[in-house]
Amino acid sequence: MNESPFVSLAGMGLWLPRTPSVGAWRDGTRDETALAPGGRTLDRTNRRRASQLGRALADACAEACASANVDAGRVPTIVGSSIAEASTLLSILDTTWRRKEPVSPAAFSVSVHNAASGILSISAGNRGFASSIAADADTPAAALIEAVGLVLTTDEPVLVACGDETAPAHLVDDSETWELLAAAVVLAPLAWDGPELAKLALRLEGRPDLPPAALPAALGRNPVAGLVDLIDAVARGRSGTVRLDRGTGRGHCAEIVCLVHGADARPSDGSDRR
Amino acid sequence: MPIPRVRPLPVTAYANLNALGGTRTDILHALAEGRSGLRPLVGEPGIETAVGAVDVALPELPSELGPWSTRLARMAAALVEQLDEPLRRARERWRPERIAVVLGTSTAGALTTEHAYQEYVAHGRLPSDYDFRRQHTFGAVLHVVSALSGARGPAWMISTACTSGSKPLASAQRLISAGLVDAALVGGFDTLCNLTLLGFAALQAIDRVPCRPFSIDRAGISIGEGGALALVERDGDARVLVEGVGETSDAYHISAPHPEGRGALDAMRQALEQAGRRPDEVDHINAHGTGTRLNDVAEAQAIRAVFAAPPPVTSTKGYTGHTLGAAGAIEFAFSAYAIEEGFLPPSIHADPVDPAIDLPLVRAVQRGTYRHVLSNSFAFGGNNVSVLVGAP
Repeated sequence: MNESPFVSLAGMGLWLPRTPSVGAWRDGTRDETALAPGGRTLDRTNRRRASQLGRALADACAEACASANVDAGRVPTIVGSSIAEASTLLSILDTTWRRKEPVSPAAFSVSVHNAASGILSISAGNRGFASSIAADADTPAAALIEAVGLVLTTDEPVLVACGDETAPAHLVDDSETWELLAAAVVLAPLAWDGPELAKLALRLEGRPDLPPAALPAALGRNPVAGLVDLIDAVARGRSGTVRLDRGTGRGHCAEIVCLVHGADARPSDGSDRR
Repeated sequence: MPIPRVRPLPVTAYANLNALGGTRTDILHALAEGRSGLRPLVGEPGIETAVGAVDVALPELPSELGPWSTRLARMAAALVEQLDEPLRRARERWRPERIAVVLGTSTAGALTTEHAYQEYVAHGRLPSDYDFRRQHTFGAVLHVVSALSGARGPAWMISTACTSGSKPLASAQRLISAGLVDAALVGGFDTLCNLTLLGFAALQAIDRVPCRPFSIDRAGISIGEGGALALVERDGDARVLVEGVGETSDAYHISAPHPEGRGALDAMRQALEQAGRRPDEVDHINAHGTGTRLNDVAEAQAIRAVFAAPPPVTSTKGYTGHTLGAAGAIEFAFSAYAIEEGFLPPSIHADPVDPAIDLPLVRAVQRGTYRHVLSNSFAFGGNNVSVLVGAP
């Protein structure tokens, strides 16, 4: 089996409606006031520019960087999103074809897939590596593989953030839509002297036979929900194999060895997922 | 971030498709003749400008890929078709599971979704054959290229606007150097669509006539379409080498370049440092050179800051238009042509040159030996990529 070398998982972050942190997810606590992401680490201009997705990614990244003790102004950053700013695109199409109004230059500027990536970079003053990638349901796996390539060739930590906004109404059936989520992890070299939650290796050939974990349907349909499965396993200290898609991708997996919370005690069988 | 430790990457085959044609011969003839592929836009969305449309017959997708059939996917299929034999050899040499597919696009299926949405507005329903997942998403054309190429390794799209087509070269370089894969099919594509025409017009960044990079009269970009693919392998009979790639951010503005080209400068320096090359070893620069007031001055300043005596500089946007997510891939191919064919195309429509742009522009076809060529791409989000292409 073709597998990457192990790297460290140094930090994690999460933003979901009513579950705005990894701790809230692990403990099952719901914050009824957390209905929209705050994008609290973005400067005022970029917070205004950012979509809901951009703000959710910013919140997840802030938590991941804090837990890994890395500087958001320096860490190489990979944003993964299956459809990215599709809602902005739809709004521009509606402006053009239904309302027959001119396109807003501001809206066009943030309609690109890497709008969130750019906003994160500008807000943090990060002049280093930034990328923005997509691979449908394999987006989390792809972002992690890209990150492992960077970690192995630079020996530095890398921030990976994946998120997808609700699929645009009109363009997909109601049964195919999903909830907004953003999740982030920091990967680092094994020799890294910062925090370490787990060791992680990626299977570069898919295992489509492995079932995905059980997440609530509207959340589980989100194309990047596989990263929540990874975070869930690490947060609960469950070592084992985590499938990084939701059953509709190639079946890329992460092998994780947890280093906190009495890890290795239980197999990652998904039986106690929320 | 330290510069990734990577090896020079052999490019064993590549293919290019743009407004100059769909074959190497057609494209080379146009470049050697200084002949632009830009033509006045006819029809939607009713903007006075020139565009670089691909005007060659595109293949139909096989029936099993029928639901994925879009103009973007068919352009990609045309390029995969050109690499059929090298891909067959690569699949025999490396396991298909060890061949990655890393591609770039900016607009993905926006053209198809525009048509679908127009019908939705007119008739209250989407076209029966419209499929958001198979025709709009960034992963749609990725699926088509993976299926047609027979590569079954890790696959993803990079979408960083106008650097989308050059970043896959860097990803492949890292994946192969880290031992994660043995080969990769890399490149980028984009189609013309109303979204980009209207969007850049709203930004007042579209010229009414064919774009004039570096000219005092320049008034914006001309948008083009097309794509390019390259097969890169751990080792092999290299046509050219990817010697170094610099990837940086301006951290300045979402759509405007840093006025002094700060991130562009860093990207060029990183590419040289990664390759272990001095600035005076670079023989030619294929500039980003879009023809906007801001880009061309900022890029010229950045080039001047890196190169005490810059080598000959060309922008090829006057031939193809700005192909956005495809530009980095197409201009990588142009850089490879310079090395393999021994000529530099003139930077057309540059006269009269802006006195603020103090660069040795190529004014007529220049023949010689070119061993190291730098190709620049810069994008929304302040994303910058510079690729150093070398002779094997």
